[in-house]
Amino acid sequence: MSTQEETPLKVVPVRHYWTWVGAAVTVLLVSMVVHTLLSKIPSGTYSCASTHPFRHCTPRMVWRFGWTVVGHWFTSHEILKGLQITIEATVLAMVIGIVLGLLIAVMRLSKNRILSSPAWAYTWFFRGTPVYVQILVWFNIAALYSNFRLGVPYSSWDFVHFSANSLSPLTVGILALGLNEGAYMSEIARSGLISVDEGQIEAATSIGMTRAQTLRYVILPQAMRVIIPPTGNEVISMLKTTSLLSAIGITELLGAAENISATNYEVMQLLITASLWYLIMTTILSIGQFYLERHFAKGALRTQPLTPLQRTRADIRGVLSKFRTHPDVPKTRARTT
Amino acid sequence: MDSIRGDFMQRNTRIRQFLVVAGAASLMLATTVAAGAASTKGTYSAVDAKLVPAAYKSGTIQVATDATYAPDESVNASGTMIGFDVDLIHAVATTLGVKVNENNVTFDDIIAGIKAGKYVIGNSSFTDTLAREKQVNFVDYFQAGEGVYAKSSSTLKFTGFKSFCGVTVAVETGTTEQSDATAASKSCPSGKKVDVIPFPTQTEANTAVRSGRAQFGFLDSQIADYVVSTSKGVFKSVGSAVNVAPYGIATPKTTAGSGLAKAIEAAVKTLIANGTYAAILNKWGVSAGALPLSKITVNGATS
Repeated sequence: MSTQEETPLKVVPVRHYWTWVGAAVTVLLVSMVVHTLLSKIPSGTYSCASTHPFRHCTPRMVWRFGWTVVGHWFTSHEILKGLQITIEATVLAMVIGIVLGLLIAVMRLSKNRILSSPAWAYTWFFRGTPVYVQILVWFNIAALYSNFRLGVPYSSWDFVHFSANSLSPLTVGILALGLNEGAYMSEIARSGLISVDEGQIEAATSIGMTRAQTLRYVILPQAMRVIIPPTGNEVISMLKTTSLLSAIGITELLGAAENISATNYEVMQLLITASLWYLIMTTILSIGQFYLERHFAKGALRTQPLTPLQRTRADIRGVLSKFRTHPDVPKTRARTT
Repeated sequence: MDSIRGDFMQRNTRIRQFLVVAGAASLMLATTVAAGAASTKGTYSAVDAKLVPAAYKSGTIQVATDATYAPDESVNASGTMIGFDVDLIHAVATTLGVKVNENNVTFDDIIAGIKAGKYVIGNSSFTDTLAREKQVNFVDYFQAGEGVYAKSSSTLKFTGFKSFCGVTVAVETGTTEQSDATAASKSCPSGKKVDVIPFPTQTEANTAVRSGRAQFGFLDSQIADYVVSTSKGVFKSVGSAVNVAPYGIATPKTTAGSGLAKAIEAAVKTLIANGTYAAILNKWGVSAGALPLSKITVNGATS
């Protein structure tokens, strides 16, 4: 049998022509979006230059989206102060929510009905009423209870005694958001805890670990991988939910933007300013969440997902390789025998 | 004998018939006159209708109102908008021969909505101010001051803006009360500034006073009176009204909008002349704020 000459096969990647068409249409649409974002409209006033014998007037054009106004207020003191309050409220409400959520979730999974039923009732009540209503009720709680005290129940010994209205609107707002968030977090935490295989609990019990030790050393570390992505989602959602606090007079980001637009009537422009800040904060939080998830996935995945930076570098290398003079020939040769 | 009696009877009957018919006719006339005087509906006036710009003659005109301000505008139990402003704009629409559609929105969205072309008329107890006149036209039709109310158990008195120092005041967002209360803070000693809490609707502002979050509720004077009178003793009026200023119906600051403002001005004058204006104000108990004919004007703010 004669052996044939080994000719390297010409390897060409599959051409996806319809993908190219789709890509072209997408590029066109994106360019149209950018074009309209930067478009201008006549403001209704005219600038006239008098050149004898005629007066030549041209209409004054302004940005359709009012980018000048947006730029002016974007870094203004009022907006930045509002942003600070928004971030404060988000962080504090989420801390309260996560701590409460974990506690309620563990109570829910307890074998003791006296612990698990109230935990279910808490989740049912705080998920079952709108968060806006909860904020209004806590703000006006003095209509039901004018004083609060922390002390021995059913007796008159108390350690702390305060009137309902001595809590500032921001404090009650954060409390309301935190309590509401606790109910949603308890469901997320519970889903993480029950995602751990039952065999793990059996194995832990068989080597003599108590339920508390099992929870701390076996279940929780594995549950974190399921809890983190929805929690990151909740933090991002809470950032926007804090805008409801403007209804009880708190000048957080949206409230500050509304106060400004109430005086200059540039409603759209100020809403865009606030929205841009919400988008920036959400982007930062999303990036943070990505790295956090990567950290918790270390034991579970063979290869780590690429970071956005690594992906961009890989894409650039891929594009550049097409322009190289000697393209990489595939190392494997086709076998012809 | 019978024929003589018959003749006499016939004449009597005819007289009686005539009297009955005359009596009925005069009764009907009296009723219509009386009904016309007490009517809050308004009647079509061709003269005024001619002033309506062509853009608004056909189709429905969108009216924006914040219906949390009884007795001027509120929503009753079955969801219909009622109030003196509501009755007035319907009477104006009848006079001008146009159709209107009510939209219940938040107060500080109304002027922005008119500027954006969403609404044509803003009818929500707007105080006509020079600052607002830069954004929209106003047809002055009523006058009101700013009044203060507090919980019945309160010991605070309102003797002027100085009384606001160191106190929490609940206002509605976007109102002149919000800007006036905030401005009052400037003349207060430091450490005793006015804490102004703005709420999206007047209802929420009232709840804040009720729960003690705010010590004063600051709003238009006849609204304050109404809130106190319907609160079953929970609230009381404190002090007297300040900053009496005209109310305006808002229209866009375009050529057509200015034309519509002139038409509305003529319509309101007609309603005063035929007694409908007085009837409407009487019905809602706000006659104290009636504006005389000479003061019904477009863009008549002085502050």
